[in-house]
Amino acid sequence: MLETLLASEVTGDLLVLFHRNPGLIDTLDSVARRIGRTGNSIEEDVRGLVNLGVLKTRRIGRSEVLLLDRARDREVLDAIAKHLRNLEGVEKIDNTKF
Amino acid sequence: MLHGGFMEGDAVMVAGSAGCGKTTLALQYLVNGVKLGEPGIYVTFEEMPDQIYRDAKNLGWDLRKLEENNKFRIVCTSPNLMLESEGESLLDESFRDIEPRRIVVDSLSHLVMFVKESELRREAYRLIMHLKTKGISSLLVWESPQMTGGSFAVTEVGLSFLVDCIVALKPVEIESSMRKALVVLKMRGSDHDKRLREFEITPTGIKIESAFTNYEGVITGSPRRVASEKFMDLFRGAAEKRK
Repeated sequence: MLETLLASEVTGDLLVLFHRNPGLIDTLDSVARRIGRTGNSIEEDVRGLVNLGVLKTRRIGRSEVLLLDRARDREVLDAIAKHLRNLEGVEKIDNTKF
Repeated sequence: MLHGGFMEGDAVMVAGSAGCGKTTLALQYLVNGVKLGEPGIYVTFEEMPDQIYRDAKNLGWDLRKLEENNKFRIVCTSPNLMLESEGESLLDESFRDIEPRRIVVDSLSHLVMFVKESELRREAYRLIMHLKTKGISSLLVWESPQMTGGSFAVTEVGLSFLVDCIVALKPVEIESSMRKALVVLKMRGSDHDKRLREFEITPTGIKIESAFTNYEGVITGSPRRVASEKFMDLFRGAAEKRK
């Protein structure tokens, strides 16, 4: 999971956007505009996040919209926090060597 | 001013130019609703939720906490999605999650970008009636240019007839300082204060002050002291000179 989350800058931007704005419900193009990009340039990253379950898609009339899965977002944050704690632990072990 | 507040299920329009406190008033309406046990939804088309959380926190309102407790939701979206009429509505999930009694749409003016002017009134009517059918009281923000001269028109597209209550906010210049004025222009089914009153945005939200009783022409953009006040000033001046 972390490999996907840390795969690209766009994925990072999307994660930050949706995490800070959990009530964002918008089309691919509009979401892209909100991080200063185009729909085409974020499509692959969005697909990755949808496959991970961090983002959900819904059909509103003729449009498909993206939104955050709040429960999954919390799981992801926990996973990242755990990963960072592990990294800190490794660094501490490394420091004892010197 | 409202002799007991907005009436349940009513559609209220808050109109005013940029920076006059519409968003603060709208958020305060929802936060007060939560205190009364009425969950609320804030729909924003332009401002991002993280800015709204931050600004609200400066006024002592922790909106993230209200969201965690399922008392409040911010929905940030595009106006065209709000107008979709087929299948599930954009707000259905939030309606299911928190069963709101109040909603704010900030702002209705953004719909102008997606529908023809001639269709705006019909679309706004559909939105208002959708909310009324669900028994949700709505507060619709309208960005209006300054009301100046003799015109008291709030919108140029005839939306004033669709809502039950209209509150107009307006910055006014009096004696070289900018002050904020508020007036209830319309309220169906209830009496209300007809006077133009000053308001301030304090660290705890909007506070209504006294009426501009000593001035006339405030809403038209040319405030001037009423004659009796001018006379009193002259009288005070003369008394000072005698001393």
